[in-house]
Amino acid sequence: MRRPDPAAVRWMILAALLALWEVVPLTGALPELFLPSLSKTLTVLYIDRHIYFAALLVTLYEVALSMLIACGLGILIGALVGGLAMLRELLLPVFSSLYAVPIVILYPVFTAWFGIGSSSKIAFAGIYGFFPVMLSTAAGIRTIDPQFLLAARSMGATLPQQITRVIIPASLPTVFAGLRLGGALTIIGVVVAEMLTASAGIGYLVTLNRTILDSPRVFAAILAILVLSIAYYMLARALESRMVVWQSAGRRQQQSSSRGEPVAVPTPAAA
Amino acid sequence: MQHLANVSQLRAQAGEAAIEVEGLSHTYAGANGSVPALVDISLSVRKGRFVVIVGPSGCGKTSLLMMLAGLRQQTDGAILCHGQPMPKPDPERVGVIFQEASLFPWLTTLDNIEFPLSLRGTSREERRRRSQAMLSLVGLEGFGERYPHELSGGMKQRVSIARGLVQDPPVLLMDEPFAALDEQTRMTMGHELLRIWSTTRKTVVFITHSLTEAVYLADEVLVMSARPGRIIDHIEVELPRPRTYEMMATDVFGRLRDRIWQQIRKTA
Repeated sequence: MRRPDPAAVRWMILAALLALWEVVPLTGALPELFLPSLSKTLTVLYIDRHIYFAALLVTLYEVALSMLIACGLGILIGALVGGLAMLRELLLPVFSSLYAVPIVILYPVFTAWFGIGSSSKIAFAGIYGFFPVMLSTAAGIRTIDPQFLLAARSMGATLPQQITRVIIPASLPTVFAGLRLGGALTIIGVVVAEMLTASAGIGYLVTLNRTILDSPRVFAAILAILVLSIAYYMLARALESRMVVWQSAGRRQQQSSSRGEPVAVPTPAAA
Repeated sequence: MQHLANVSQLRAQAGEAAIEVEGLSHTYAGANGSVPALVDISLSVRKGRFVVIVGPSGCGKTSLLMMLAGLRQQTDGAILCHGQPMPKPDPERVGVIFQEASLFPWLTTLDNIEFPLSLRGTSREERRRRSQAMLSLVGLEGFGERYPHELSGGMKQRVSIARGLVQDPPVLLMDEPFAALDEQTRMTMGHELLRIWSTTRKTVVFITHSLTEAVYLADEVLVMSARPGRIIDHIEVELPRPRTYEMMATDVFGRLRDRIWQQIRKTA
């Protein structure tokens, strides 16, 4: 028997899960409070589409700004820490250990500083997504093959030329992997923050409807977040493969590539 | 002091020298004081000659080449390239080819070859014209749009040679360029290099630890001792050109290779 195409199998599993979501509640095996059927969820999503759309816009706005903070600051500080040995020795251990801290414990402090509006979500998610971007950028710059720089110097490259023509393109694949992960974390950061303390956003809808035990509306919000995350992931992947044509094959061939490659992001589709 | 006699013999052809090294020494700052790496190196390479420097691993031959390229500064002594010192790399005077082809994986073959030209703002048409010419010189027509990961090891070194030649420098420095290749590819590439050299007539300084490669390629072989490196022998290779694979089986070839080996073994 021929081995089935993995992509086809993935779509089949997705279809089967959706079918189960519809069928299991109908059989009465699970009460609606635990799992409302897919059709019911989609129905309330349609009825309340204006509410959900408005909430999604708020969330998207917060995600966009926090991504800007995470990526901008992450690349800037990562480049400095990766490029300057003095800063690296001083700061890298600090940042690496901070990355392990569950930053969500700081969220109450953020609400005290920035209020319960969008600013606190943006600040919190920005910091949350900052770490992987910053650490990947630092790693990307630190692990550049010194032979590249030697060759560039032998061809007469000045320091600015070494930065723009060698260091930046050579570190792009690692930086992109960090951006993908950091972007995903800002989505998580915004939604979690909205669920904890907020007055708007899709995460707020989850918490609000949970407290009044309106399960279909909770699941409708979950579905919206799921679609948002998957859309982000596919967009990031597409952008990455366009920008770094040589990455996959080229990196595999350079034996030295295994160092410093950040952890692969699990697909949100698995959620 | 046999090597000094050789040096003075070379001095006789003054004026024709492409590279002159006078009393060069180099010392590294180690944990337990300074470590001498190169001691009193003097040599002279005449224009258009193919000179091979051979020596055991760690003898400092790569350091010496980096200094000739202006990529590293020596502690002591002088280096002149066409009569001028080399305080920093100058790709218009000296092209360097490294052991790992060190092509940029994000650039196509043609863009890699053009890289040194693009650093100095050469026009796009001029760059394309020269890189295409180099591509045919190294026998890679049709591979211009490929990326390095799509090329074999030998092809990558060809591209690297093309990149070293694209600014037409009179001197080419090669640091064990074929060391990472398998033996068959290595033989082919040696032959190719001699073909390219015979059409361009560059001055070549070529580093290797392969005795066969040294004798096969060279007009002159400079033998270096184990660390701290010094030049312990200077051998003229009297084999006719063009060189053929059959010459490797001759007595002359064997005697030359044996002489180099005896010299290296003495110091190891």
